[in-house]
Amino acid sequence: MLLKLAWRNIWRNSRRSILVLISAIVGLIAILLYESLSMGMIHQMLGNQIGSHVTHIQIHKNGFNDNKIIQNNIADAQEITAALDSENRIKHYSERVLSYGILSSASSASGILLAGVVPDQEAQVTIIKQSLEEGRYLSGEKHEIVIGQKLAEKLEVGLGDKVVAMASSLDGDIGSDVFRVVGIYRTFSSDFDRVHGFVALENLQEMLDFGTRISEVAILLENANASQSVASILKETLGDRYEVLPYQELLPLLVMQVDVSRQAMFVFYAIIGIAMIFGIINTMLMSVLERIQEFGVLMAVGMKNRRLFNMVLLEALLLGITGTIIGLILGYLCYLPLATNGMDLRNFSDGLGALGIGAIIYPELTPQSVVNAALIVPIFSVLGAIYPAIRAVRLNPISAIRHV
Amino acid sequence: MSTIRTVDLEKTYSDNGVPVHALRGVSIEVEEGEFTVIAGPSGSGKTTLLNMIGALDTPTRGKVFLDGEDISELNRNELGELRLKKIGFVFQAYNLIPVLSALENIEFTMMLAGVPEKERHERAFAAMEKLHIAELAKKRPNEMSGGQQQRVAVARAVVNNPTIILADEPTANLDSETGADLLDMMETMNREHNITFIFSSHDPQVIDRARRLLILKDGKIAEDRR
Ligand SMILES: Nc1ncnc2c1ncn2[C@@H]1O[C@H](COP(=O)(O)OP(=O)(O)OP(=O)(O)O)[C@@H](O)[C@H]1O
Ligand SMILES: [Mg+2]
Repeated sequence: MLLKLAWRNIWRNSRRSILVLISAIVGLIAILLYESLSMGMIHQMLGNQIGSHVTHIQIHKNGFNDNKIIQNNIADAQEITAALDSENRIKHYSERVLSYGILSSASSASGILLAGVVPDQEAQVTIIKQSLEEGRYLSGEKHEIVIGQKLAEKLEVGLGDKVVAMASSLDGDIGSDVFRVVGIYRTFSSDFDRVHGFVALENLQEMLDFGTRISEVAILLENANASQSVASILKETLGDRYEVLPYQELLPLLVMQVDVSRQAMFVFYAIIGIAMIFGIINTMLMSVLERIQEFGVLMAVGMKNRRLFNMVLLEALLLGITGTIIGLILGYLCYLPLATNGMDLRNFSDGLGALGIGAIIYPELTPQSVVNAALIVPIFSVLGAIYPAIRAVRLNPISAIRHV
Repeated sequence: MSTIRTVDLEKTYSDNGVPVHALRGVSIEVEEGEFTVIAGPSGSGKTTLLNMIGALDTPTRGKVFLDGEDISELNRNELGELRLKKIGFVFQAYNLIPVLSALENIEFTMMLAGVPEKERHERAFAAMEKLHIAELAKKRPNEMSGGQQQRVAVARAVVNNPTIILADEPTANLDSETGADLLDMMETMNREHNITFIFSSHDPQVIDRARRLLILKDGKIAEDRR
């Protein structure tokens, strides 16, 4: 009955209530879209980085991540791959030789990161093969190179053209070789495409006098969430000669951005919450002051302060819940088409390309963010109603009844 | 034992620092089943006296006993509890909760008193039948006339089986015919169910029907007639 009473009281001044509802609804829609877009964007950036090169876990000789010189190499890859084969959460892995060097064409030269890979292995852990725009992937033969579209542009080379790679070899000499461009790829990140070139593993080992050494093993897991636990297990098995790094440690800036964006959400929540509080204080205070005489009668017939207090809070709570339900439904309806079709940001895609995001962003709504959004308005509504409720119970029944 | 007894009741209000003596020593006793009218000029303290008896306000000095219990010392919450259990109020106007129907208004005080839903529904209906207002059950206060609203207010007061019903100028906003109907109804309740009524009124037709008349002047009982 109290619920019925509170509900009807809300609609006594429907215009005022609708205004509060609208502010709650607009706030919620904004929260849902903002949060899902920013989460979608960051996850997409993370996914692109993981998918194009980083993978879930990398293993190197200790110190390689901080100082990527070829002297930091893995002499006995078998020791590592044996450990990987016994961990069933690992889907695939790829052995790589990595070296900074210079790639030059007839017209130009550019600093690059040369990656020597086993084509079958590498194709399983990254999307470079699928991202080819022209030509084909490495066959495993010598003297083939796959480069990014931006690099091809810079060097002014096309399929079939020759390029020369130079890098310092293990013994300190300059190693070099001639390659023919067999494939040109394009990932989401133009920065990535400008510096990464792929050749056959043995080819690069030969060029750098590397023997059978490698620089890293890149690992793709069944489930990205297991990265830290698998990494710590591998760390234990392999001992401290190697560094085993989950992507969280390999991409600290991006992972930090997830946290930053979470914190930004809390600021957003706070702003909406505070706006809600003031909306409710205003609405409920007006509604209490309009009903002084009525509250007097309620007190006279024996309604206790606690009940009266609760009734005012209940009115605000119902208002908040109503706004939340409508806001969540509308927000979800706005989100659905975006989630399936993505939000087309092609107009800004140059900037986004540099950030490593695609031109189309797919917003992501997690249950956690829906729950947060669902709680925010009712909680702040009740908080906002506390002062008006105190005003209501402070009324003196006699003067309240005489009030007109 | 009297249902109500006041002893040297005094109430002093402060009107911007100036003391206003609304009651200056009122001692009365009201027995169960009495139909009492408090009359007197405006400002003589009628409303103040009813408020003291009705546990809406606490006296400056003196005591009020309801069913032998001293209520002058109770706190706000205890007074609320007492009003809920023992006292029915009918005010001059705007007695009802605007967003509740007549039936719901009558049920409301029973809800506050913790009467289970089914029982309060039955009791509210029974009271409405008895007071011949059953056809108003679904109406909201703004769909009823002033007289109908007052009848619903009486039904609400009666239904909790209070020790006493206090009515502060219940007919003041009604024309004389409607006022007479309302009084008929209350007289019937008084006669048939022995419910104690105390009114305050200037209305001659209310005073005519009084079986006991208390006349207040300047916060004192000037006359007590049976
Ligand atoms: N809350 C209050 N504060 C200050 N003075 C008050 C208050 N309530 C009543 N009074 C004063 O106390 C005196 C008695 O008032 P009361 O309302 O009891 O008279 P009444 O007999 O009911 O008058 P009426 O017939 O006009 O209703 C009046 O002088 C009034 O101004
Ligand atoms: Mg009065």
